[in-house]
Amino acid sequence: MKAATPQSYLAEWNQRLLDFEESQHISAFRRGIRNLVRNRLLLSGVILAVLVVGAGLIGPIIIGGDYELINFSNIHATPFSEGALLGTDHLGRDTAIRLFVAIRVSLAVAVGVTGLALVAGLAIGTVSGFRGGWTDRSFSGVMDFIWGFPLILVAVLFAGGLGEGLLSVILAVGLVNMAAIARVVRGEVLALSEREFIEAARAGGLSNWRIIRKHLLPNILAPALVLASYYVAVAIIAEAALSFIGLGAQPPLPSLGQMVAEGRNFLQLNHWETTVPGLALVVMVLSVSLIGDGLRDVFDPRLRHEAKGLD
Amino acid sequence: MTENSPEIQSILDEYQQKRLNRRQFLKKVGAAGIGATAAAAILASCGDDDDPVATTAPPETTAAPAAPETTAAPETTAAPEDMGPTKGGTLREGYNRDVSKHDPITTNWYDPAFFAIYEAIVTVSPDGEFVPQYCTDFSVSDDGLEYRFTVEDRPSHSGGMITAADVAEFYRIQKFSFIASLASPISHYEVDGNQVVAKMNNAWVGTLGPLATGYWRLANINTWKEVGGYEEETALGGDSVVASVYGTEIVDATGPFTHEEWVPGSHSYVKRWDDYPGSNVPYFENKGPAHLDAIRWTVITEAGQRATQLENGDIDTLLNPAHQDLARLEENPDLTVYRHAEWSGYFMFMNRENFPEIFGDVETRRGLSHAVDREGMVQALLFGNGAATYGPFPTTDRFYDPAVEALNNYDVAEANRVLDAAGWSMGSDGVRERDGVPLQFEFMVENESLQTAIATAAAAQFAQVGAQADVNVVDRAVWFERAGGPEVAAGLFMWLWPIPIDVLTLFCASYTIPVPNWSHANEPRIDQAIADWQNAGTVEAAAKAQSDFQMAWAETLPNMSFINQNSTFVKNNRVHGWAPFVWLLYPYYNDTWIEA
Repeated sequence: MKAATPQSYLAEWNQRLLDFEESQHISAFRRGIRNLVRNRLLLSGVILAVLVVGAGLIGPIIIGGDYELINFSNIHATPFSEGALLGTDHLGRDTAIRLFVAIRVSLAVAVGVTGLALVAGLAIGTVSGFRGGWTDRSFSGVMDFIWGFPLILVAVLFAGGLGEGLLSVILAVGLVNMAAIARVVRGEVLALSEREFIEAARAGGLSNWRIIRKHLLPNILAPALVLASYYVAVAIIAEAALSFIGLGAQPPLPSLGQMVAEGRNFLQLNHWETTVPGLALVVMVLSVSLIGDGLRDVFDPRLRHEAKGLD
Repeated sequence: MTENSPEIQSILDEYQQKRLNRRQFLKKVGAAGIGATAAAAILASCGDDDDPVATTAPPETTAAPAAPETTAAPETTAAPEDMGPTKGGTLREGYNRDVSKHDPITTNWYDPAFFAIYEAIVTVSPDGEFVPQYCTDFSVSDDGLEYRFTVEDRPSHSGGMITAADVAEFYRIQKFSFIASLASPISHYEVDGNQVVAKMNNAWVGTLGPLATGYWRLANINTWKEVGGYEEETALGGDSVVASVYGTEIVDATGPFTHEEWVPGSHSYVKRWDDYPGSNVPYFENKGPAHLDAIRWTVITEAGQRATQLENGDIDTLLNPAHQDLARLEENPDLTVYRHAEWSGYFMFMNRENFPEIFGDVETRRGLSHAVDREGMVQALLFGNGAATYGPFPTTDRFYDPAVEALNNYDVAEANRVLDAAGWSMGSDGVRERDGVPLQFEFMVENESLQTAIATAAAAQFAQVGAQADVNVVDRAVWFERAGGPEVAAGLFMWLWPIPIDVLTLFCASYTIPVPNWSHANEPRIDQAIADWQNAGTVEAAAKAQSDFQMAWAETLPNMSFINQNSTFVKNNRVHGWAPFVWLLYPYYNDTWIEA
């Protein structure tokens, strides 16, 4: 890593001033695009995400076929075999169509989990941090309790109560992620509550709801979104892990973890049955992580400077 | 040199004229039905010297999988055999299931350790004949109503002495176990001097079968009572037996190995019993204490991992590698693969009492059955290492009735025709309906790769004829908890038992509703066939009863049979005297030894 020098610091500072001045003369959309293009992490993540989401959304339409359709006469085919772009599995099912549907499943779970965790985590963390007192102690206690549970154990408990399947996965992972987001949000709210503009709002007679809505939420949304992007990746991995052990998507509905699990018994026969969904999982998680890092840079430039040794 | 058949003599002539090497000779005589040990003896008798090729030759034990005759002795490494067994060493054996509690009376499963720790009063020879094991002799009365087993007082692992009265008492208590109905024609046991006498309700040709299985293996009943807090009044229903440490911490029996460790999900471990008084089994070569110091069974439920661990040398022997790995293992010159028929099968139960609108009529069940491509399943899922089953029995059973093959064959057009005739019309979403009820049901399956694959394949084939089976993969414990209950419509089950007719009756008899007759099937024809079997005093009567049973099953479909896999055992060629055969679920370890 290059050490920060007064010259580099000055150059950076001048660039930021120029950027600021220029930003006053262009639209928010163009500003967003420019930030995106300049932020290589974000750009890489978005490109990968577009590819993955595109594969999940339009892949099944382009390729066609039924992910459930078995063909005993064409099992364990390797990629680019006749009639099977990415090969077939142990039941002769087309790996490509199953992969695209599995990506859809992962995305649906990720959206479901993150939506649940973000909404509930924001609400609980904000109320807890803003109200303080017994409300804070109660909520914090519950969140710490949930956070202390291993994810797999929570998933097993849900699976025991609701049965194996994606609903159990979404609720289990969503619950644990909610606790994580709520804890961070609470901390942010506690810090913001001591700031002058909140004191001023209180002194001005604004209601609690209005203070939260107008002053707190806009300030905590950015870190919450950055955190949420991280937990999207966690949700994708957790869904794959739970499906791997049979608690997630139920056959014949494919999921990446389940495909890896089914293929691992045939590694020496046709490793592609595991490699293909494994690679897809890597790409999905990588794209979300890159986007998360990029968003962090955008919303909190100080971290970027720290990373570059500019502070 | 003994007198050889013309065929063998011809092969021997070729060998002596140097037109065959030793490896080719062994292959040819093996194909002619001569075991490798006998072949080595022939070679030795004609002055053959040790050819190093032979010690690395691929073993000739992997012939046609379905025929019991294919379990020929696989020992191609004649030289170490000639040197005699080596004493010592620990046999590390991979096991494809979890280890079971080592209590024959209360366990719900028996694992290979039962064949090391316990002895049954009789066992089965490689020829399929019953021979003495614990007893020294046995006989049956002319009217078939009395079986007499002569027993000597034998010491047990704890140092206690087991008498004939103890054996009779063991059997008396064993009759309280959940599995005891398999021997229900046996009325009770008496003691007459040094003989244990089984008194029959009726003459029955199946009497000795259950007695040779793991559940009837003899424990020292005195120890069993002491550590279990057994109470006469509660029989096995009391809490005391459930809380017993017998089978988990303490085991007291008469086999050549003593129980040392039992860790569910991981392993079990036994050690040689140096005071073992010797075996009565006529086909054991070693009549004294075992050669091995110890045996450790490692649980390897991960299908793809089993073969790898054997190849890596983590284990010496293996029970049931994954089917997809068999071809590779057979090509490995350091390993010997045994394949033979397995007394097992996969079937789908259909809960007709709680889901009468779906499974209540035989036509619907038959329509679904015609949709299943069993032969395709055998090829794709078992890699050909098994057989399609259209009735309850494995095709290699001596009482198998091939007439069942005319029923339930794969015919999608017929499946659609039968379902149409049953009143199921195709809905717009591809799922049939009848009286507003969709042909849709939960299909519960245990979380195990092969079972999941079978259920998924069956569900996909049901979908082709407009039936939606929602596969639900659950833990084994959950499976048993839910099966037979009012909320589960269908489930996949694998049975494994050395005498198919005995155990299969449990899954369809009216008196075993709801467990394990999870289908809640109540078919008079089946009940009659079961009664006929349990009253069969002659082999002819037994054959007829079993044929009736199979046809009744195949026609009324209390359960839907799918496939039957072959049993596969693999050993490193350093291991000798470990020779599983078709009639027993596991091998014995009395003769087993490992090259130093």
